[in-house]
Amino acid sequence: MKDPLREVRLWDPLLRAFHWLLAFFVIVAWGLGKFGPDKMTLHFWCGYVVAGLLVFRLVWGFVGPEPARFSHFLRGPGAIAGYMRGMFLREPSYWPGHNPLGALSVIAMLAALAAQVTTGLIADPDDYINVGPLASYVGSATRSNAVGWHSLGANLVLVLVLLHVAVILFYRFWKREDLVRPMITGRKQVREH
Amino acid sequence: MRLIPTAAALAAIPLAAMAQDDPIAQAIEARHGFYQMLAINMGTLAGMAKGDVAYDEAQASRAAANIEALTQYDLPGLFVEGSSSADAEDSAARPDIWSDPEDFGAKFAALGEAASGASEAVRGGAGNIGPVVQKLGGACKACHDDYREKS
Repeated sequence: MKDPLREVRLWDPLLRAFHWLLAFFVIVAWGLGKFGPDKMTLHFWCGYVVAGLLVFRLVWGFVGPEPARFSHFLRGPGAIAGYMRGMFLREPSYWPGHNPLGALSVIAMLAALAAQVTTGLIADPDDYINVGPLASYVGSATRSNAVGWHSLGANLVLVLVLLHVAVILFYRFWKREDLVRPMITGRKQVREH
Repeated sequence: MRLIPTAAALAAIPLAAMAQDDPIAQAIEARHGFYQMLAINMGTLAGMAKGDVAYDEAQASRAAANIEALTQYDLPGLFVEGSSSADAEDSAARPDIWSDPEDFGAKFAALGEAASGASEAVRGGAGNIGPVVQKLGGACKACHDDYREKS
């Protein structure tokens, strides 16, 4: 006998604001990086906002409400394997937060973005107008290599974001569970596991 | 027995001479020298634009004139066959240069256009340097994005 479904306030307002602001600024930064003007001032500012958002998320992962905490959603291989066994069932997960597998995606995205911010801050593309503000604090080989890492990082972020969106669609159309709405309203139907 | 070291030294001479005579190695070395000269003069202008270095009209104009002169050099001519990053370890020139030499040439010509008139444009105050550096830097970036190996 399964526990009954309950509608709960899952995602707090700050976490929701974080999510959509992060999505917005990462997309704008990415687009400006690839297609923007040669003078990358706006791209830089987007990066600073992303850095601030990541700091918030790190802090929120320790002091925020229960579903936002790393300790709540980071689970061992056993839990991940257990979740994956039921993953392809055509029914909603009703999971109260980040599920054990999705948690890995969350961490991967946060880590990739943190790396992306770091390499951006120290990168020197030798054009005298888009030099990272911290480039002078690292060696010349590092600041030059950082340009390549930043470029690779952009591809990695793209892959992770596309995977994220694909999985959201998988939940929406295969598992018939809308994960976007809870990230807007904060409310979600859940079942204790 | 000084025979062996002497023989070794003598044997090394043709090797060193070969490296110097190798037109590909020469072209790569010349390119690096070219960019180094560009960098020194760009550094002077960028330093003054940012206020790291005190504005000096004569010095700024000389640096800009150097850049104007450098961009008149036939740099694309140094990108000889066999000197891409795929061929030579110390080359950062992407093979794409050779698959679209016309565009590469246009990118370098754009740097020349950005540099044209720079030695006059940077006169009259530190505030006049910024726009020149922006234009030059934009041309640097446009070419680096497509044709420079991101190590």
